[in-house]
Amino acid sequence: MLILARKNGEEIIIDSKIIVKIISASDGHVKIGITAPEEIEILRGEIYFKVKENTLKASEESRRKLQNVSKLKFNKFKE
Amino acid sequence: MQIETFQFGTVHFNEENILKFKSGLFGFEELKNFLLIKPDDDNIFYWLYSVEKPGIGFPLIGLNVIYENYPAEEKSAAFGIVTMNQDPLKVTVNSKAPVYINQDDRTGFQKIVEDEKYIVHYSLFVE
Repeated sequence: MLILARKNGEEIIIDSKIIVKIISASDGHVKIGITAPEEIEILRGEIYFKVKENTLKASEESRRKLQNVSKLKFNKFKE
Repeated sequence: MQIETFQFGTVHFNEENILKFKSGLFGFEELKNFLLIKPDDDNIFYWLYSVEKPGIGFPLIGLNVIYENYPAEEKSAAFGIVTMNQDPLKVTVNSKAPVYINQDDRTGFQKIVEDEKYIVHYSLFVE
């Protein structure tokens, strides 16, 4: 992994088209601004890994039969 | 062409039935070609099967079953990947990372939606 030290307001350029800017950093919180082409997907790491894990699990569990479902209702979302 | 499925046995299909997923699915980025099988009387779920990797398949459910105004994408229907469980009350649907399928141009993609009311493990059933 490449590790770079940056100050507030400084930037990192990736592949001449992605700009990562340190907006502010203090007390263990870093605010980052990212400018990238539309086709580049930017995700928070923890959400990405949670979704990925869920997709793998869903595939593993897909052979289980749905049972005793006749008396249940769909859990409709309420605001 | 044909694939073997656990739920439906051998499924025959044509080239034009294949849904193209340019970026695959999260966790299966390498898989680009899928088949969608619609529910019948015995089955409340749609099923999405990998054409390339035998044995990979997911139950899906239309997210409009759960949410009244789920975020739309042009000409596409939004589905959630269902994680089965022996206990139906523990069956969950992923509404955080919907699978959008456009039946007209035979394409699909998965994305992550920001809104916090959408979650990875949403309980599908209640008593």
